[in-house]
Amino acid sequence: MAASVRAILFYLFLVFVVRIVGRRPGKQITPFEFVLVFFMGGLALTAMVGDDASLTNAFIQIMTIAFIHFLIAIGRSRSSRLAVLLDGTPLVLLENSKWRSDTLSKMRIQDDDVMAQARDQGVTTLDKIEIAILERNGQISIIEGEQ
Amino acid sequence: MSNVAFEKPVEDSVPKINDEVAVGEDLVFQRRWWKFESVMWSLIAILLLLNFLGVFGRGPAAHASLQNDALSIKYERVERFGTPAIFHVLFAPDVMSKGKVELFVSQSVVDELGAQRVIPAPLESAVGAGGITYTFAAGQAPGSVEFALQPARAGIYHFTVGIPGSAPLSGRIIVVP
Repeated sequence: MAASVRAILFYLFLVFVVRIVGRRPGKQITPFEFVLVFFMGGLALTAMVGDDASLTNAFIQIMTIAFIHFLIAIGRSRSSRLAVLLDGTPLVLLENSKWRSDTLSKMRIQDDDVMAQARDQGVTTLDKIEIAILERNGQISIIEGEQ
Repeated sequence: MSNVAFEKPVEDSVPKINDEVAVGEDLVFQRRWWKFESVMWSLIAILLLLNFLGVFGRGPAAHASLQNDALSIKYERVERFGTPAIFHVLFAPDVMSKGKVELFVSQSVVDELGAQRVIPAPLESAVGAGGITYTFAAGQAPGSVEFALQPARAGIYHFTVGIPGSAPLSGRIIVVP
């Protein structure tokens, strides 16, 4: 029982912390964020396991996390409010050749990140971009304007 | 041909305006979220600072001591669940003059605070009066005894330590999860 409660608490805590830390640990994961995700997981492990290193404890905790994740996924699909709370909202980073500098700075994203994604899609200059969007999964979508 | 019935028309939840890209940006929510984020970062910074000070144990603010004519004790007023801590008892020279010294500790030191061992090992121990009375061989002052604690449960626990026949010392230890 205590092991399951610990697992639930740590799962919710990590969901919350990752949400606060920012969106980029999702899709565009860099070595910098790679360290963060794995380090947090490792630290959570020590407290979750405690002095119970049994297989039973591991099975129960994994099943607990899977079940809570399942419930949250159902809740997210049924409630747009919960979805926005958990995943955030798409954010426009660049529109009509103008940066949304406030959004960029608050999301801790640099214009270089947007340009990197633009180059990935074969867009060579900023003025060819109609709109750049930071998606909920952390991906930056680039939509070219009509020439 | 498939027999699957398609009943729900394809709809876009994001309104289409002047054929622009349907983004579905919710800046009102996002601005509220940014405010919440900044509050949370401040709160995290405060919690980390308090932690460095020892408010959650293992730091200067957690160290505590009590003293009377017979003994003085040093302990952590905040301990952590399942984490070793030392409860240090120093005897006054007067109580060590008889070749042995008795020390009463309340049952909470053993049960809730999880005394794992007593250093040095006592000559004998006797239970009663809501605790344990240990008898140690004593030489010349100064002399001290250590209890290696490892709390098994989070909570607030009161303890009493004393030399039989003199006023006991009482304190409180908070065990954080």
